[in-house]
Amino acid sequence: MNEIRIGGLRFSLDLSQPLYEQVLEQVRSSIAKGEIALGEKIPSVREMAQALKINPNTVMRAYQELERERLTETRRGQGTFITTDAARVQEIRNKLAEQAVEQFLAKMESLGFGLKDIESMIRAKGGVSP
Amino acid sequence: MTQSAISAEDLCKRYGKKIALADFRVDIPRGTVTAILGPNGAGKSTFMRMITGMVRPDRGTVTVLGRKPSWKTNASIAYLPDRARWFGGHTVRQAVEWGAKLLPGFQTDRAWELIDMLGLGADQEVAGMSKGQEARLMLAVCLARDVPLLVLDEPFSGIDMLSREKIVAALIDSFSERSQTVLISTHEIAETESLFDYAVFFAEGRNALSGDVEELRARRGSVQDIYRQLYG
Repeated sequence: MNEIRIGGLRFSLDLSQPLYEQVLEQVRSSIAKGEIALGEKIPSVREMAQALKINPNTVMRAYQELERERLTETRRGQGTFITTDAARVQEIRNKLAEQAVEQFLAKMESLGFGLKDIESMIRAKGGVSP
Repeated sequence: MTQSAISAEDLCKRYGKKIALADFRVDIPRGTVTAILGPNGAGKSTFMRMITGMVRPDRGTVTVLGRKPSWKTNASIAYLPDRARWFGGHTVRQAVEWGAKLLPGFQTDRAWELIDMLGLGADQEVAGMSKGQEARLMLAVCLARDVPLLVLDEPFSGIDMLSREKIVAALIDSFSERSQTVLISTHEIAETESLFDYAVFFAEGRNALSGDVEELRARRGSVQDIYRQLYG
């Protein structure tokens, strides 16, 4: 898996998973991490398809979903831009954080650790203020 | 309901004792970029030739854009045969003039754009070209046609890496430009699988597996993985 950088966005695609979801998730996470600024223009479908060497239909689907989630907006004749709505980006960050916590908890549970154990382990790492 | 660009029912074809297609069935949805995959001798080229009416089935039917293959449907198809050599004594300019005169839907401006993108020049003589350059020229002539169906039989085979990369870039550009149904047979799966929406795996003249590539990825992994599962 090679990392591809295009216009502030970073991608690494795994051909054994649906590409549409990966493009969507990776743009979403670039926005949440602030790797690409609010209001910044993102590459056109054609540019993105060329950079990632994937079918433009796949890029188009991901772009439509981003727009549906109000993370991007298309201005006629100008292209597609990251939203300028900071509150919306914060919502997505919170959602991604929640997902990360859920994944972490599920993994710990599968290893047989309960909340109490987890709490003390996080404390021991200095991760949570008392 | 998705309309089929090509549908085949129980296609059978023999060449002497050799069975090329055996009860082959498929429905290829319109507007997809479809991979035609399988080992040599699995029936891929026979199927592609049937789409253009060059080979007739012994039994069964194939429907192309809602009709039986004929010279009428062929006006709607840009076909790149395997082992093709079209422009022996020509220059690139003459090849483009030939296309403009003879090929339905041929767009000269688009042809020059593609030729430029593919790194070729108007005065180059085809006779002096490498295999990769000649393949790029033939592809440019096919992609310059605004027709509903594009059939490319092994456009990458035996071609150097840089030519392959240029061809992939020209294909992506072409897919962005217009909505066509595109069939591409290839053995270069690793380099091309991210281009495909739909895939058909041929095995001994039959349809071993076909479907939406993203769904196949979710269920069974990459196109390369599936190829190994089916033929390995």
